Amino acid sequence: MKRKLIALFLATTMVAGLAGCGSSETTSTDSGSTDSAASATETKTDNSSDSAASADSGSTDSAAIDTSEHVVITYMTTGDKPTGTQEELDKVMAELNKILTEKVNAELDIYFIEWTDYLSNYNLTLAQMDGTVDLVGTASDWLDAWPNAKNGAFLELSEDMLKTYAPQTWASVPAENWELCKYDGEIYLMPEDNYAQWTNHGYIYRMDWAKEAGLTDGVKSWEDLTTYWKHVKSTYTDIIPWDSDGTHQFQMASGWVASHSNFVPIDGLSNGGLWGGTKDDLYTITSPFVENTEMMVEYAKLMKEWNEIGVWKTDVLNNTSADARADFRIGRSAADQHHTQTWTDLCSATPSNTIYETDEDAEAGFFYFGQETGNVVALSITHGAMAVSAGSENPERALMVYDLIRNDPECYRLFNYGIEGTSYEIDENGLRTTPEGFDSEKHNINGTTNYWWGRNDDLEIKDATRNWDAIDKLYAEYDSKKINYPYGQFVPDVDNIQSYINNVNETHNNYMKQISYGLYQGTAEEIVAEYQEAMKAAGIDEVTAELQRQFDELYK
Amino acid sequence: MGKTKVKEVKPKSSLTFFQKVKRYKTLMLMCTPAILFFLAFSYAPLPGIYVAFVKYNYRDGIFGSKFVGLKNFEFLWDSGKLLDLTSNTILYNLAFIILGNVLAVFMAILLNELRCKWFKKVSQTMMFLPYFISQVLVGILVYNLLNYDYGFVNGMLTSLGREKWGPYSDPNVWPVILVIVYLWQQTGYNSVVYFASIMGIDAEIIEAAKVDGANGFQKIRYIILPSLKPTIVILLLFALGGIVKGNFGLFYNIIGSNSLLYSTTDIIETFVYRATMVDFNFSTASAVGLYQSVIGFIMVITCNWIVKKIEPDYSLF
Repeated sequence: MKRKLIALFLATTMVAGLAGCGSSETTSTDSGSTDSAASATETKTDNSSDSAASADSGSTDSAAIDTSEHVVITYMTTGDKPTGTQEELDKVMAELNKILTEKVNAELDIYFIEWTDYLSNYNLTLAQMDGTVDLVGTASDWLDAWPNAKNGAFLELSEDMLKTYAPQTWASVPAENWELCKYDGEIYLMPEDNYAQWTNHGYIYRMDWAKEAGLTDGVKSWEDLTTYWKHVKSTYTDIIPWDSDGTHQFQMASGWVASHSNFVPIDGLSNGGLWGGTKDDLYTITSPFVENTEMMVEYAKLMKEWNEIGVWKTDVLNNTSADARADFRIGRSAADQHHTQTWTDLCSATPSNTIYETDEDAEAGFFYFGQETGNVVALSITHGAMAVSAGSENPERALMVYDLIRNDPECYRLFNYGIEGTSYEIDENGLRTTPEGFDSEKHNINGTTNYWWGRNDDLEIKDATRNWDAIDKLYAEYDSKKINYPYGQFVPDVDNIQSYINNVNETHNNYMKQISYGLYQGTAEEIVAEYQEAMKAAGIDEVTAELQRQFDELYK
Repeated sequence: MGKTKVKEVKPKSSLTFFQKVKRYKTLMLMCTPAILFFLAFSYAPLPGIYVAFVKYNYRDGIFGSKFVGLKNFEFLWDSGKLLDLTSNTILYNLAFIILGNVLAVFMAILLNELRCKWFKKVSQTMMFLPYFISQVLVGILVYNLLNYDYGFVNGMLTSLGREKWGPYSDPNVWPVILVIVYLWQQTGYNSVVYFASIMGIDAEIIEAAKVDGANGFQKIRYIILPSLKPTIVILLLFALGGIVKGNFGLFYNIIGSNSLLYSTTDIIETFVYRATMVDFNFSTASAVGLYQSVIGFIMVITCNWIVKKIEPDYSLF
């Protein structure tokens, strides 16, 4: 009897527990979905009435906007959750929220997507659509902006909405740039189009060491790099010239192509820009990786040579914990492979770049891919952009908040730089410096909020620690050579070719790892032939043909 | 094991469903949590399989999205790797299942024969510990043991004046390494089940064998192994259901993205992970999951059918 009772008791408690869980879950999701549905309809009616109102009054009428309810707007950005800077960030956000509450009766909250597996976490968070996030930092080339727009993760931003709730942003972005933010006739993104930056890739290297190697003007070509590696390897025997973590295969390969052709890749289609046009013929799709065998064989040969020199570790493909950049900062690495923006940091005597304190000869040069041929393409304006989540319960207020942090000097500075006097100071030249007692571990707000989705050169205060002489010189060089990104309006419809693209991408990735790190068996000719055959089998020609068809529709 | 007993007691099936419920109400009650669990987590989500057949759109949801038929399965066929991937997955799992179980039974018997109590406890714990190490750490551990430039093994080899060994560029050695790592991690855990069922063997039978003059080996051969047979068969049947589901954690953390080794180490999971990470497609991923489940289902049914032919008592259903 006793046993029976115990069994009964156990069973009922478990059932109760399960039932409890189940029911609470369903009710919560239920209420959630009805809520969002309700708010969606609300939004719609709001919109129409508002747009009617604004149409009546002819312009943006802030009186027509109802901000009586205090709301919290969550902004999603990539970046690690702050550790040391948390305290300072709290202060900044309190300050900022005071202003936001006063102006639009809203406050801002940051939702961090940590760098580990950021793309999948980013997409997963967007897929939730439960109002977790309102403002979404996004990018067409590195954060799946278009796939997400197509999947319905982003809200369509009507012109009326933008005019009403983000009037300054609406006015500051020229019409042709709004065109580049449209998919299927609807605006999804608010572009960071007034911010000078370059994210073309290349090698950051030690200029002083390059000079020692006899490269008096610095590294100007891939062959110069070979000379440079050899010198570093023989002179500085205790360091690995470039301790790659085995993930640079795409950048290296497309860098080689940029340096040896006038190929202009299409962003965001695949890793490593497999498809694109050429400067002479922008609208004929080609893929030099499979079409220019000779060039790829040369590449495979050179990379084998680099591998034999010992530029990276033998097991580079499993060397996931390496951090060449951190090593570079302290003088333990001869190179880092990344983009210009990273170089602007590494070439400057910032507090974290201790190499400039310990070694007064230290100097960081930059060899950009395409330097030999002058093949430089300016950044697409949607390399950074803000979108509004379709799951947002307060899209209007989200836009209003964005309009402020993008255009209001006070909010902009607070959000980007922190509190004046603690996190930054403006010196007599109007440049941004660090105040006394500044500790980048605690006060670096600029590196915490990661606001890369609407920076504004009108409000930017140049960072005094940056090596502007060198940076401006390189930017001027870029400006003299660049062409604008030509495919901004092209949002490919890949539904029918996605499986080919996946397979092509996978093949490209696998072979490029072996080729770019010189780890293949057999001769360069053999591996390139094998690679190209595998790419054909994976369907690269089908994709090229389909893209060409869509190009012809759009551009001819 | 208990099943046979139930069968004997089972009255004629003249009882109606409700009569049965009434008669076995205590048993039913005790089963309820498990039944509810499976209803909630295995049966309720079943309609979600539909996502494998649509072009999933966040806003329209699973059932509102456009139906595209078998399109999501295409990329697996198109890759031309389906056969290689499936065979890699199955072969690895076969190795894991067979070697894993043989070793686990072996260890359980050894443990059972140990007379020194503290040694038994210590060795059992030591065997169990690796099971709790995260796969990520296992990956790092293996890398630090085996990498070419700074690895422990190569350090030993050079100090012995031997040539260095580069497993990270040699696909052929990985099946062996991976199986060893798997066994190191799982044997302790697996042997517990067998150890428990050895403990459950009627002591009288063993006594009787001893009286009849059976030595230690004969005891194992004629008493213990036959008594373990039902457990082994049931565990094998369960394991076979997952034979096309690869051990993602193990492969992903040890092999990572080293494409040099894919020819012998790429399994369905790792391939799908890489390929679908690019476009973040729930539908394709579900399609693959469905493919694996269907094959697993067929495997279980077939194996169960074979077992039933040979020894009806041991079959699952």
